[in-house]
Amino acid sequence: MNIVVPIKQIPNLTDELEINGDGTGLDHDALQYVLNEFDEHAIEEAVLAKEAAGGTVTVIGVDTTGELDGALHTALAKGADKAARITGDFPRGTDSHTQAKLLANAIRSLSPDLVLTGVQAADDRDGQIGPMIAAHLGLPYVGVVTGVAVKDGKAIVHKEYAGGLMGEFEVSLPMVVGVQAAHQPPRYAPVSKVRQIAKTAKIDEIAGDEAAGAGSTVRRMFKPEAAGHAEMWEGGPEEVAEKIAALIKEKGLLKG
Amino acid sequence: MLTSFEKLIFILMVAVFGGLTAWGFYQIYRIIRRGRPAARFTHVIPQTVKALLEVGLQKPMYKSRPILTTFHALIFFGFSYYILVNVNDLLEGFLPGYSTAEVSAGIIGLLNLLGDVLSIGVLVGVAAFLVRRFIAKDKRLEYNKDVLLLPGVAQGGIKRDSLIVGLFILCHVGSRFTGQALRLAEMGATNPAQPFAGALSLLLRALPPSAFAPAIHASWWIAIGLIVVFLPYFIISKHVHIMAAPLNLALAKQAERGRLDPATSPTNGQGQALPLPGAATLADLAWPRLMDAYACIMCNRCQDVCPAHNSMRPLSPSALEINKRYWLNANFNAFAGGASSPPLTEWAISPEAVWACTTCYACVRVCPVGNEPMADIIDLRRRLVNDGAELDSGVQSTLEKIGKTGNSFGQAARNRAKWAASLDFKIKDVRKEPAEFLWFVGDYASFDARVQEITRTVARVLKSAGVDFGILYEAEKNSGNDVRRVGEEGLFEQLAEQNVAAMSKCTFERVITTDPHTLNALKNEYPDYGGKWETIHYTRLLAQLIDAGKLQLQHKLSHYRVTFHDPCYLGRYNNGFNPPRALIRAAGCEFVEMPRNKENSYCCGAGGGQIWMGSTPVGERPAENRIREALAALDPSADGAGGNAKRLLFVVSCPKDVVMYSDAVKTTGNEGKIEVRDIIQLIAEAMGEGRLLTSNHKPQNAIPA
Ligand code: SF4
Ligand code: SF4
Repeated sequence: MNIVVPIKQIPNLTDELEINGDGTGLDHDALQYVLNEFDEHAIEEAVLAKEAAGGTVTVIGVDTTGELDGALHTALAKGADKAARITGDFPRGTDSHTQAKLLANAIRSLSPDLVLTGVQAADDRDGQIGPMIAAHLGLPYVGVVTGVAVKDGKAIVHKEYAGGLMGEFEVSLPMVVGVQAAHQPPRYAPVSKVRQIAKTAKIDEIAGDEAAGAGSTVRRMFKPEAAGHAEMWEGGPEEVAEKIAALIKEKGLLKG
Repeated sequence: MLTSFEKLIFILMVAVFGGLTAWGFYQIYRIIRRGRPAARFTHVIPQTVKALLEVGLQKPMYKSRPILTTFHALIFFGFSYYILVNVNDLLEGFLPGYSTAEVSAGIIGLLNLLGDVLSIGVLVGVAAFLVRRFIAKDKRLEYNKDVLLLPGVAQGGIKRDSLIVGLFILCHVGSRFTGQALRLAEMGATNPAQPFAGALSLLLRALPPSAFAPAIHASWWIAIGLIVVFLPYFIISKHVHIMAAPLNLALAKQAERGRLDPATSPTNGQGQALPLPGAATLADLAWPRLMDAYACIMCNRCQDVCPAHNSMRPLSPSALEINKRYWLNANFNAFAGGASSPPLTEWAISPEAVWACTTCYACVRVCPVGNEPMADIIDLRRRLVNDGAELDSGVQSTLEKIGKTGNSFGQAARNRAKWAASLDFKIKDVRKEPAEFLWFVGDYASFDARVQEITRTVARVLKSAGVDFGILYEAEKNSGNDVRRVGEEGLFEQLAEQNVAAMSKCTFERVITTDPHTLNALKNEYPDYGGKWETIHYTRLLAQLIDAGKLQLQHKLSHYRVTFHDPCYLGRYNNGFNPPRALIRAAGCEFVEMPRNKENSYCCGAGGGQIWMGSTPVGERPAENRIREALAALDPSADGAGGNAKRLLFVVSCPKDVVMYSDAVKTTGNEGKIEVRDIIQLIAEAMGEGRLLTSNHKPQNAIPA
């Protein structure tokens, strides 16, 4: 079975985020980039699926930071078999439409049985990469998945709904899955292994088409602005009830 | 004395049992050789002399349990002396007409006197041990509920072994002693050189004369014949410690306590695959660790001092050694012949126990036979980490944070020196200008909001004393001391390399650290990575400054009664016992030692990565136990009567201790009774605010919540 995991790097959220000069995005150069947490789960789920059903795991990403190799080496240390980097002039924060197109083009040539990617990422929160890859490749997509089991050319996927409801889907392969959480916490990659791999591993390079796509543009990005403040009422229930009634009257919501 | 037939039997016995024993020792040698190579054969001769002297004086044993050790010393002296006695007994048995029982003069007289007195010593000592184990049922010989024990151990194997050994000694020494009394009785003689045997002989004179000869023969056989029979039992008994322990001490580790043994054995590098780090099975351990199992006398002294054990966690360092030994007994030939053991975590120590160790070194320090259970635990962690075993989520996320950001708080590197922003002087950037001291601040001192004010106080005191110092700003990374001790060898190496690279570019003379853990890594482990600087803890520097008159303390803080907690990595690991005490004295506080101090200090429970883990023990947390100990020592009730109540302080000198103990004061409900202070706060207060160069901060007496 051929499992492909598209990944991307996003700003480290424990950093203090700064807005760039134009006020249209983050000041990417001041930020440290780390692997998207949901992609970490996608890698774990892929390695678990491989361990259960055999196959190979290929991890692939668009190199927007010049530091993607670190993430790829870590994925290899966790049990992925191959790694590929899409190269080209793609700056930090490249939008999800462009990345999805680039990834889809590259993944097509890998003829995957299963594509597992993080259901969303904290940078744009649009959750589009998975569905768009599926659309470009003409494959079925299920998102917010918390577990994948592969059997006889089919995948059983568990999807989490709001309110704790679970759905179980049987989907014919190939398909694309947006992973919410792997069914085990992502494993730790010991640094000695990562360093060993960094010395020996070969990462395939795929040249990306620079005019691959266009996504949405951000008109304005800003830090939360305080808008008014809450007033706390103290006192017994009677007292507070009276104050509420008075306020409702005052606002003209109650007659008499 | 012996008949020819008896002589023949004896010689045959020596041949058979001696041969069996020799074969057994050869197998033990093969077993120990199964361990991975370790560099231990340096200074063997001085080390052996030292070990023999120390054993002779029973020094390693007097580290704890002084009363029981005195009983042991009685047995030890008697038993050692019995080598001479037994040679004489052999001569008596084999040389016709040779008899010494009645001799009271000359060298033989002296030998008799010593033999007589020491025999009583051995009998008293063994009786005391048997009473303690079987009648008083000393609790210290038991294990916590969930400690992993091999069936043989759980079913009372140690008790049985102890009983056999105890009875053997009683028979051997008792019978030899009685033999002497019988001889004297037979002759109707008294011997001032054998006062005790002489006294017994008076009673034995009542025996019919015909009984003496057979009784004397029997006593000889029970004394001397028994040793021969017992020799092969040594191989499977804990009593083999009489040989293995001195050997273990002679070959004990001579490197700094704080420098861990390498995670893999040195290879010759000839195209071999890289060996896996640490240990999964018995043969992965370094050979001295296999010898530990043979040296172990199963006394549980290591367990007594173990903070994990005392907080009811399922870890017992002694159970680990004992399990190893029992497994080896059960798989003696197979393992000697090359069979491998199942993973240690299945039978020697549970994974929970492996992760409960604080790496406080107390077990290694106290062990009278030079064992290092902690080294096994760290090797197990190394392999678990390497194999991608499921880690404690706190440990995993901290390691990931350190890997990504270089600090355990997961903060951006550029925030590292933010604590210094509110000082009204700028600390030198040692990357840009030379300084006499490079101050390696450490993660907790830099990032933890509860500790930052203390870090600023260190800076202000140093500045006021005219110390020329600088820091690395964002180039400093976690020192890796605790990273290495949770078993993440690769990350430790990476951090050490990065820090050494950053420091190598700077010009400075010495390094000071605030954090004892950092001190340990820089001082003892960085030299292996090219970082060869003199590194000292800030308490040492301050004590030096006071001695040199460069730091003057204006006020005497005699209104404080204080005790001091030795942090494991400052005290036991790096011998930093005196400077903090000198500082407390210089500040004029009334000082009281806790019962467990210096080498015996009790871990706060944070080390070895515990501070990153979420789990709390079933029993009393080590830090809480320590606060109670401090309160008892400081005795608050002694105050108040005269109306001059002193404030009680628990003084620390490690940023993690500030956090651990402030918390423990709260959880034990002792707020208002005792306060936690870093030593630097005492110094700042004694200097007087006027003498502190910068004044934009009030002296911070209480720990900020
Ligand atoms: S190092 Fe400390 S915590 Fe670890 S086993 Fe030894 S005594 Fe216990
Ligand atoms: S390891 Fe040392 S201290 Fe612990 S039980 Fe064995 S001999 Fe005693």
